[in-house]
Amino acid sequence: MHSDIAGGPIGEVVVGLTDVRKEYSDSVALDGVSLEIRAGEAVAVMGPSGSGKSTLLNLVAGLDRPTSGSVAVHGEDLGRLSETGLALFRRRRIGMVFQFFNLLDDLPALDNVALAAQLTGTKAPQARRRALELLDELGVAGRRDTYPAQLSGGERQRVAVARALVNRPALLLADEPTGALDSRSGEQVMDLLLDLNQIGQTLLLVTHDQRLATRCASRVVEVVDGRIARESAVARS
Amino acid sequence: MNAVWRVARAAVRRRMLQTVVIGVVVWVSAATVVMALGLLASSAAPFDRAHDEQRGAHLAAVFDSSAVDRLAGTSGRAGVEAAAGPYALAGVEAADGGGFGVAGELTAVGRADPAGAVDRVTVWSGRWVGGPGEIVLNLPPGAPVAPGRVVDLAGGGSVTVVGLAFSVSQTADAWVTPEQATAWGSTASQMLYRLVDHATAADISRGEASVSTGLPLLGTQSYLAVKQRFSQEAGVYVPFLTVFGALGLAVAVLSVANLVSGAVVAGYRHIGVLKALGYTPNQVMAVYLVMVTAPAVVGTALGVCTGDLVGGPLVRDAVEGFGVADTGVPWWVDLAVLVGMPALVAVVALLPALRARRQPAAAAISAGSRPGARRAPRVQRALSGTRLPRSVSLGLGVPFARPARSALTAAAVVLGVATVTLAVGVTLSVTAFRDAANPTRANQVDVMAAVPGGTPADGPDDPLSELAPRLGDAQDEAVLRAAPGVLGVVASSQQLVRLVGGNETHVVRFYRGDASAVRPRVWAGAWPARGGEVAVSAKFLTQTGLALGDTTTLEQRGKRVPVRIVGVVLENVTGSVLGTWETLESLLPGSRATAYQVTLDPDADRDAFARAVAAGDPGIRVTPPRGGTSSQAVVIISTATLLTLLLGGIAALGVFNTVVLNTRERRRDLGVLKSVGMTPRQVTSMVVTSMAGLGLVGGLIGLPLGMVVHRVVVHAAAPINSPDLLLSVVPDLLLSVYDAPTLVLLPLAGVGIAVLGALVPARRAARMTIAAALRSE
Repeated sequence: MHSDIAGGPIGEVVVGLTDVRKEYSDSVALDGVSLEIRAGEAVAVMGPSGSGKSTLLNLVAGLDRPTSGSVAVHGEDLGRLSETGLALFRRRRIGMVFQFFNLLDDLPALDNVALAAQLTGTKAPQARRRALELLDELGVAGRRDTYPAQLSGGERQRVAVARALVNRPALLLADEPTGALDSRSGEQVMDLLLDLNQIGQTLLLVTHDQRLATRCASRVVEVVDGRIARESAVARS
Repeated sequence: MNAVWRVARAAVRRRMLQTVVIGVVVWVSAATVVMALGLLASSAAPFDRAHDEQRGAHLAAVFDSSAVDRLAGTSGRAGVEAAAGPYALAGVEAADGGGFGVAGELTAVGRADPAGAVDRVTVWSGRWVGGPGEIVLNLPPGAPVAPGRVVDLAGGGSVTVVGLAFSVSQTADAWVTPEQATAWGSTASQMLYRLVDHATAADISRGEASVSTGLPLLGTQSYLAVKQRFSQEAGVYVPFLTVFGALGLAVAVLSVANLVSGAVVAGYRHIGVLKALGYTPNQVMAVYLVMVTAPAVVGTALGVCTGDLVGGPLVRDAVEGFGVADTGVPWWVDLAVLVGMPALVAVVALLPALRARRQPAAAAISAGSRPGARRAPRVQRALSGTRLPRSVSLGLGVPFARPARSALTAAAVVLGVATVTLAVGVTLSVTAFRDAANPTRANQVDVMAAVPGGTPADGPDDPLSELAPRLGDAQDEAVLRAAPGVLGVVASSQQLVRLVGGNETHVVRFYRGDASAVRPRVWAGAWPARGGEVAVSAKFLTQTGLALGDTTTLEQRGKRVPVRIVGVVLENVTGSVLGTWETLESLLPGSRATAYQVTLDPDADRDAFARAVAAGDPGIRVTPPRGGTSSQAVVIISTATLLTLLLGGIAALGVFNTVVLNTRERRRDLGVLKSVGMTPRQVTSMVVTSMAGLGLVGGLIGLPLGMVVHRVVVHAAAPINSPDLLLSVVPDLLLSVYDAPTLVLLPLAGVGIAVLGALVPARRAARMTIAAALRSE
């Protein structure tokens, strides 16, 4: 794995949440959450269902806005960005991996990856070259013309990771990346994330898979009822 | 049923946007169908309707008065269903040739009562005659004449016009009391018959033979001949209205089909869940039928009311000349739409619902609302390699994911663009015809010098009623030529003239001077260059059976002048004849001009001109050029505009619905695209592009379709289309109305319709919360 990573200087604060509160119409998803993530870190957010961990991830990705408090990524206060600004921010700074892959069914693997690059204005041939490099690095180049429905779960997630990395994001976010995979595919994805972090990719994982957390993360944040209940450093297994 | 109703009601509430869209599309569609059918029904047989309403005469027979005592007995003869008469017949002529405002000599019928077993005349203004010295004129409702005028008669004495009435059977020019007719020296008696068999000319001939056997018959008039004359009038707009009506129906049905089938397909997952809960297949179908039919019923009811409100005046305008009493949208149209539109919606919903009904619950649930994967891989693949912005190329591929839905949407756009093309073409043709028939130039003014024959002057408020030139014709022309800024003067005189051998009166206009700037355009042949030559309208040829090159004879006050038809002009006036001043001199020596058409220098001071004219002869009047827009043109243009707006609106609503369904189905994809950095503007651009592409395709297909339909309509509605009149070719100026900019702009109407329909749901999709969209899977 030698993908060029744009994670920023080691130790620099990449993500900063300050007293973040997120309310929905009938519930409070996050309440007074403050958290910092530094460049090169791999942080796993754990907690039971409904604890607010996915909400936290969505706020960091700029997919949702906090009710109060601030969310800053690379020094940029997301609360001050317009919808277009958030889109451009996601394009340049964020790569996302979802539990259920969220690939576009109408596009083959290569085009799914290249699409994210093309949205930044990269020409089609260049975007495809870059996408092919990533698929190659992730071991699925042979499946580049295959449609998502014909890929295995592990292959789909690798393609999703390639898509997340195509624009060299400062921060890779992963929401239960192994949650929909069999154990073998899950292992492969864990290895992939670990490799990425080891070459400097800042990582924020949301999971309730203890094995994934201890294997890939350098720090675990436990969220219970919308609050951070515990933070602990992890000695990777 | 309770379970069905409860779930259906919940579904309607949960899909409020879709419910509203169904209601609105059905509303507009129902209104369009009501108008279209109303116009079709009214224009298809206005004469028959009017004739039936009045119990019109199939045969009007005139006998010598010597047999008057035996005429009543003819009502019992073979083939006679009913009879009225005998009525005394007399000729009456105003001292001033055009005093009655309709013709020189009128045929007045002595009738004590407008009612009766046959020919129940409709008195639409004033009252029926009550005594001597009173007259009722036979004019169609809406004619610009008011009762109250006293007309001096050529033979001495006077009559007062006390009422205006209309006989669709055209049994008289006017009615007086029987005593008045007798006093005027009636020598003939009229009998009116309704015949048992009357469908063909042969039926009428048999009836005529039956009633006239042994009696001194002077002449007859068949209702078929009258009907033929009316049909020629209606012929101009019937093809146009028929096509518009058919287009309206097609667009409405397509849009409703697209909308409802899309709604049912979008609900497959819901259908699966209901089945899993224990709903029977029939109950599931019932839920969906109720869900789409409920808003359709409300939309239909609103549409029928709207159609009646808006369509009523259009129908009235279209058939007002026929004297039909009940001129609103026929009741059966309302009933048919009230029943038919919800039934159509139910049938259209039934087809996809039946498909869903057959699917196992698990399959329905897993089918969800997304289109199957890989429906459009090749297209998307090809587009991804182009230089287009990715949001645009993605959008262009979207329609291929749902080809059937896209085809229905595109078809609605095709018909929408065809409608716009047809409407633009018809409007341009009508305008071209009007301009050719009544050329008006900005620097032209009319100066009226007398009430022309055939033009009614309605009392003191009519500016023409006080025309009384103080100077002679030549002096008036000299005054005009001497006025400041005058470049040229053409004198004209309008007279009511009969053709020898016929009983019709024709409006003849005679020109003095170079009339090239003011005369109608010559369609075939040439403009009359000398005395004894005339040009006529095509309708004149149709009406009289004459042809270009034929000779006929004009008759006025006993004087006869033979004339040869040397040209056909583009004029839509029945019976119009145009000739030179020399012909007028032969027919009515010493006649003066009734009007002057004056061409002014473009920089001339019109006020100074008017002052000079008033100073030279206060008895003549400067008037602006008269507008040439006929009531038919108004009907056609206003109908075209209204139906175009409606059909374009329905097509746009169809696009709106398609985009709502597409974006709902692709909610997760949109969330994914936004999560990888697609901006709201790019999302809007992608969604709008997905429909704009369809719109452009629809425009490119709809344009030639509309042009072909335009040619068909113009050929069918052209004032003449009879090969035996040597004028079967419709003039190019009516057909070649689409210039290059118009041809470029018209396909863009499809894009406009698509963008209009897509914009709101596209912006809504752009504002969608990503987290919620991604959770929706």
